[in-house]
Amino acid sequence: MRTLKTIAAAGALATGLGAAAEAQETVTIAALYNLTGGMSSIDAPALNGALLHAALINEAGGLLDGTVMLEVVGIDTKTDQQETATAAQQALSMDNLVAGIGYGDTTFVLAAAPAFQEAGIPFVTSGATHPMLPTWVGDHMFMTAFGDDDQSYAIADYAYDTLGLRRVAVWTDDSMDFTRALSTFFRERFVERGGELVGDDFFMMGDTDFSAQIARLQAIDPAPDGVFVSAIPGEAGLSVKQIREAGITYPIVSGDGFDTELVSTVPGPDLANDVFFSSHTYRADDRQVVSDFVAAYEEEYGRPPENAFSPLGYDAIGLVAEAIEAAGSTEPSAIRDALAGIRDYEAVTGMISYTRETMVPPKPVAIIEVQGGEFTLLETWFPDEVE
Amino acid sequence: MTGTTRGWLLAAGLTALGAAAVWAATASLNNYLLTLIAFAGINVMLAVSLSLSNGLTGLFSLGHPAFMMVGGYIAAILTFPANRKGFMLPDLPEWLAAQQWPLLPALLVGGAVAGLAAIMAGFPVLRLRGHYLAVATLGLIFILRAVVNNLDGYTRGALGLSGIPKLTDLWWVYAWVVITLFVCWRIKHSSLGRTMMAMRENEMAAACMGVPLARTRLMAFAIGAVFAGIAGGLWAHLVTNLTPTSLGVFLAFQLVVMVVLGGQGSLAGAALAAIGLSAIANLLRPVEQSTGIYGMTQIVVALVLIGVLIFRPQGLFGSREPGVLMRRPESSAPSRTAASTQTTHLEQRGST
Amino acid sequence: MTSYLLQQIVNGLILGSMYALVAIGFSMIYGIVRLINFAHGDIAMIGAFTALAVMIVAGLPLPVVILAVLVVGAAMGLAIEFVAFRPLRGAPQVNGFITSLAVSILIQNVAILLLTAEPRGVAFPAFLSERIPGLPINIDLVDILIVVLAVALMLGLVTIVNRTRLGMAMRATAENLDVARLMGINVSRTIMAAFAIGSALAGIAGLMWSARYGQIDPIMGFLPGLKAFVAAVIGGVGSIPGAMLGGYLLGLAEVLFVGLLPPEYAGYRDAFVFGTLILVLLVLPNGLMGRAAEDRA
Repeated sequence: MRTLKTIAAAGALATGLGAAAEAQETVTIAALYNLTGGMSSIDAPALNGALLHAALINEAGGLLDGTVMLEVVGIDTKTDQQETATAAQQALSMDNLVAGIGYGDTTFVLAAAPAFQEAGIPFVTSGATHPMLPTWVGDHMFMTAFGDDDQSYAIADYAYDTLGLRRVAVWTDDSMDFTRALSTFFRERFVERGGELVGDDFFMMGDTDFSAQIARLQAIDPAPDGVFVSAIPGEAGLSVKQIREAGITYPIVSGDGFDTELVSTVPGPDLANDVFFSSHTYRADDRQVVSDFVAAYEEEYGRPPENAFSPLGYDAIGLVAEAIEAAGSTEPSAIRDALAGIRDYEAVTGMISYTRETMVPPKPVAIIEVQGGEFTLLETWFPDEVE
Repeated sequence: MTGTTRGWLLAAGLTALGAAAVWAATASLNNYLLTLIAFAGINVMLAVSLSLSNGLTGLFSLGHPAFMMVGGYIAAILTFPANRKGFMLPDLPEWLAAQQWPLLPALLVGGAVAGLAAIMAGFPVLRLRGHYLAVATLGLIFILRAVVNNLDGYTRGALGLSGIPKLTDLWWVYAWVVITLFVCWRIKHSSLGRTMMAMRENEMAAACMGVPLARTRLMAFAIGAVFAGIAGGLWAHLVTNLTPTSLGVFLAFQLVVMVVLGGQGSLAGAALAAIGLSAIANLLRPVEQSTGIYGMTQIVVALVLIGVLIFRPQGLFGSREPGVLMRRPESSAPSRTAASTQTTHLEQRGST
Repeated sequence: MTSYLLQQIVNGLILGSMYALVAIGFSMIYGIVRLINFAHGDIAMIGAFTALAVMIVAGLPLPVVILAVLVVGAAMGLAIEFVAFRPLRGAPQVNGFITSLAVSILIQNVAILLLTAEPRGVAFPAFLSERIPGLPINIDLVDILIVVLAVALMLGLVTIVNRTRLGMAMRATAENLDVARLMGINVSRTIMAAFAIGSALAGIAGLMWSARYGQIDPIMGFLPGLKAFVAAVIGGVGSIPGAMLGGYLLGLAEVLFVGLLPPEYAGYRDAFVFGTLILVLLVLPNGLMGRAAEDRA
């Protein structure tokens, strides 16, 4: 199959040299997402962002001086890993495939990306954040988002330094690797800074009732001065609402799982207070790329971006497009090399450079506050200098 | 006597034909289609082995994914490259971490442990009937998931095992499909199989005839689990990734759907339903992708299911097998009996 | 410590009220047509979205919302019965189970197509989440309403089943469908009534769910539906009081396992819940209030 593709590409190149120079080519980017099932609220917005960016690029005349148009093919993998493995192979069988993008969760990337690695096609995950991902998969694996270590360190630093928290309880969604990793890194950093962990509690994905955890939180004596809630968007608003309704007023801190309107709409403006989370630098950010993105998204879909995964999907396409421009070619291997060489790409979710040995982009992390249901960008945290 | 010879010849012929088809497929099809066929084959294994308990014996088990998990994790841990294993799974005892097995023994051990697990779980659980058994076996999935999820040092927890060597190919799947079909076919047409069906039709009458109820139930459950464990191992080495949520409730439902759609107790029916369902879903895939109407596949499959069950309530084949596959050409009498027992069976179910 | 335990128990009862409401419908439909209706949880989802539409979009007051949810829930139940289950009457039980799964998948995916998978916040009037003053534990007004409404609906249902002609017809049909028909009972209408009432209750459970948690999405019905199935089984499928008891026990078990076990075991909650369930069933193989399996299965 790969041979056929190479022959076809070589043929195209030969005719391209001989024939008219303005011949236009449409390249395919496969977008693997869980558009139905349990993960769909995370992945569907990401595909929306990706489709939007491709449409905007094509409207603006395409890439490489108008010779290359993008076609993003969304593949629904139904929150099922058998579907994921099949979809990866389907993507790799597509004509003119130059790259794959997808997923907001590490476990699904690990079921799809190795096939791309083996086939020599770059795979850019829009939302997965496990810092070992490129190491595990290989040199064709790229991340759009920061690593969980960075975002946890950012919020741990902020909680310790600025909020002055010293005794914190940690809540973790025990059913997901993302949330477990986030808690692990938070605990590590917070203790390292001199803070004390006064309670550990767990829930499961899909839980809506946190009353047992809250009762236990209230039973901690003396009371903690903050709680770290490691959750995905579906649990973010629910946990804030129930914690505040129980009369607990100390700060709730979290990571990018809290980057959703639900943190404000579910508890309502009266209760959505003193919530602080680290996230991708786009919410409440006034950079031009951000406001352009938000405006275009609202125009296309009639609603603001649902959560941080929509700008990340948008940026994943941005990275591939940037790499095609930089490579001056649509050969997957050239695109891979160009991706690895990306420096200071201004994405909606912050600057992206692949300078670390781990290939996790050292991105700035936004610290965002929710008061009265309003999101405010408090400060931007920068990771430790490039190692 | 001639009938038996004919049966063997037919089986050998079909196996050779299948092998030729696999050879032609691997030579001409791309990886996408090969992957699809491989998954369809694994589903055939699962549906056919589940029909032992759910179809023939009339147990309502949702536990197959749990046994797949057992077999899958064990096989994956055994084949995993030793140089990375100790680092990834720090709690594994050293002698185990040093192992790096080929696929076949790993699958067999996985299947055996799944069978043992089924015997252990089956002793208490199989005392339950009907929906009570369904809920209890559903519970097995949740219990196992919680355990795998929390034994980080052995299973890498929620992250799952990734980078499992990709050892499963179409030949492996084909060989196991043939073995599964062969074994289950032999069981169905042996005295054990007739015992199972007797229990399904009327437990009390079967008991009066001296059928050891508990042992037969356990046999059906455990043999099914062995194949589920092996299928889990094949699955893990095809996807190369196995997490606590990879094999869950939804898969359990899908498998029950295949068994029922094929006809309770019809092995060929279960196999064809497994193939048919994945064919429909994957034929719709390009339509879904070009229209952007995601979820359409599930909607169409759901409608097809409702339609089939309304117009063919006994499933594709009832409890029978397609006529061509039956051993004796003159054996129309037994199959008519099978059909009539099936009807009484339906009436009895419908009216109680 | 006592107030801690009391709080956990109260929380378990509130959660249990909602499970019980869904489980009752489940058990009632099972009792009459021997159908495990997995789409039942999805009717709760439809109830929740109806509440959102009537209250937020149309801006109507709470009693109207409750009425609308009852009507839409009942209508959905009737529609599902007519399209998917009536044609199956007389087929093996497991067919109904599969059809109900198909209906559930259908409802969920159509809802995702129409509404997107994104959860959304539902703002109920703020007075509902006011804390009741003067109590050592934390109870909101909405919690009290949930428990009171659930108990009232259950009592109403028990009255219907035990005291009215319709209830008598239901019990007769549950006992023996064919004999009931011979006795001149309109079996079809009785079955429709069971679907309508059971589904209306599930719709109300969805409304309560959204009022208490403030967040709804198209697949929110799946887990509660599965749990209601479990609750109905604990109680003994087909028994209405059993379903209530099962619902409350499951709610209590879920909360108490998390609340009383050391946190490092909290990850094993589902294992404990299902483990206990299996143990209960081993001692009482037909659930707490079910009849012998020979009668039923």
